[in-house]
Amino acid sequence: MSLPAIASAGLGRDYGSTRALDTLDLTVQSGAMVGLLGPNGAGKTTTMLLLATLLRPSRGTARVFGHDIERERATVRRRLGLVFQEASIDGLLTVRENLIFAARLMGLDGRTTREAVDRILASTGLSNRASQPARQLSTGWRRLTDLARALLHRPDLLILDEPTVGLDPEHRERAWKLIEEECRERGTTVLFSTHYLPEAERCDDVVLLANGRVVGTGAPASLMATIGDAVLEIEGHDAPRLLSVLERAVTVRLAIKTARGYRVGVTGAGDTLAKLVAASPGLARFAVRPPTLDDVYFARTQDAAVVARSSAPQVPA
Amino acid sequence: MSDTAQAIGGSSLAAGAGASGLAAVHGIVARDLARAFRQKSRLLGGLARPFMWLVFVGTGYNAIARVEGAVSYQAFVYPGVVVMAALFGSMLTAISTVYDREFGMLRLMLASPAGVSALLTGRAIAAAAIGFVQGAVVLVFMPAVLSVSLSQWLAVLGALALGAVATSVLGLLVAAPLRSVENFAGVINVVLFPLLFLSGALYPTGRLPAVLRAVARLNPVTYAVDLMRLALGQPAEFSAPWSIGVLGVTTLVVFGLTAVVFDPEQRFVGRARPGGPGRGGAEPNPPPRGGVGQ
Repeated sequence: MSLPAIASAGLGRDYGSTRALDTLDLTVQSGAMVGLLGPNGAGKTTTMLLLATLLRPSRGTARVFGHDIERERATVRRRLGLVFQEASIDGLLTVRENLIFAARLMGLDGRTTREAVDRILASTGLSNRASQPARQLSTGWRRLTDLARALLHRPDLLILDEPTVGLDPEHRERAWKLIEEECRERGTTVLFSTHYLPEAERCDDVVLLANGRVVGTGAPASLMATIGDAVLEIEGHDAPRLLSVLERAVTVRLAIKTARGYRVGVTGAGDTLAKLVAASPGLARFAVRPPTLDDVYFARTQDAAVVARSSAPQVPA
Repeated sequence: MSDTAQAIGGSSLAAGAGASGLAAVHGIVARDLARAFRQKSRLLGGLARPFMWLVFVGTGYNAIARVEGAVSYQAFVYPGVVVMAALFGSMLTAISTVYDREFGMLRLMLASPAGVSALLTGRAIAAAAIGFVQGAVVLVFMPAVLSVSLSQWLAVLGALALGAVATSVLGLLVAAPLRSVENFAGVINVVLFPLLFLSGALYPTGRLPAVLRAVARLNPVTYAVDLMRLALGQPAEFSAPWSIGVLGVTTLVVFGLTAVVFDPEQRFVGRARPGGPGRGGAEPNPPPRGGVGQ
């Protein structure tokens, strides 16, 4: 069986006395798509820079396709495609020149470079912008150029730090189409971070980070199932009372305080909900929906907001 | 697909170690030269500077100053101005690395398989080439002031090349610790002007106070200027082998030093391990947008 794309053990990094990443034990199978989620400062970028061999670990080890990120940096780098938060695109060069530059940096010879650049220009839809100076590109096309740059040498592991930040829905869609094709058709392993949590639902696995630690990991569906089979959003002055009624009447897996009320994860509520809501006239808003990764995110990363949590089903009073 | 990539079990097109370094250096030089010729105002500014000195300052000084052994101040200052053009061309190109650090391009280069050594080699070559070209443009007009034989031309071009290479690596060393573009203007004032003024390019350093004269002797640009004077048959302070030696050694030492200090993350020495002595919290810069950082 092939080696895991990423295998880290106790990986951590400090900046001075700040623990950016405490300890990370992560295994990503070859060909998987994994999302790294968490608040700003959780350690996502640090994790990615460590795996990209641009930062040295303060502790622990990590291997990329079996190669040590410290001792075999050049070998690791040949397998990587990297997209950072700021696009690594030179505005004074044309789109094509930027791609040629990136190909040369990866060590591609002249002919391979030309073929790789033509191929990626076509598959990203950048062909008719190839001769345009990159500074004239919109944010969206600039990002796609950056993505083309990271893909053109056919990396085995793609590390993307917020690849869709600031993009309009159209360009976001295009970017994801490229990334998913790369993963599903070529078998490229993808590790990405994002703050648009619905984007992470397409992952095989997500890793939730908070304060430099892993606070949750698993397939999106199984993580969402920990919230319950439905999420109630309740707002208004009756909300606290309804919450306590709910806690007695149904299985409340989790309740999160929001700006105007609560978000309550429940299981097996069924018909009782309608009756309970009818008995709470002071609700400004009431909604039932399936759990999302947003709920998981708040539950795992915003401890202060969680007002109720149960891991085992409660026995109704 | 390259054999090396296959051998290590991947499908990446990225080549093996030897080829990748050369290709990366080639790519970096090509990019830097393309950039240099597209920044028209900077290019013209770089060319205008030496001519302003020759025409405006040179003419004025001609009327009031006589340098021993030289026919006119303009004849005396010409080799100095050639070196000045190369100094500014090379160093400003090298120092512009700080822009790359700020705008994400540096990280891309540092993450390449060839890494920091390819980056520094490529940029040094490009910066030296730009300095050489800017100096050569000034040389074109030299026959108007000085008569030059063919062998002198060759010697002058050699001296120019050595000076351009030495100042380009000096520029990289200056850029190494800089983290933002805001420091750029200050650096020109505290680095470029002293290097120029205390080099003997614009006036002989022989009659300076002892302290300044000593500083001038530590300045590598002094040797580039002196070598240029020697090449033109003007009175020179040092012998050719001495000046060539100083410039060569300076280039090698400064390049090595730059490779060490350029990106602390690229060094794998003295890392703190549990139970072992190490640098612990000695990481000087948690750079948010630098080559590295969260």
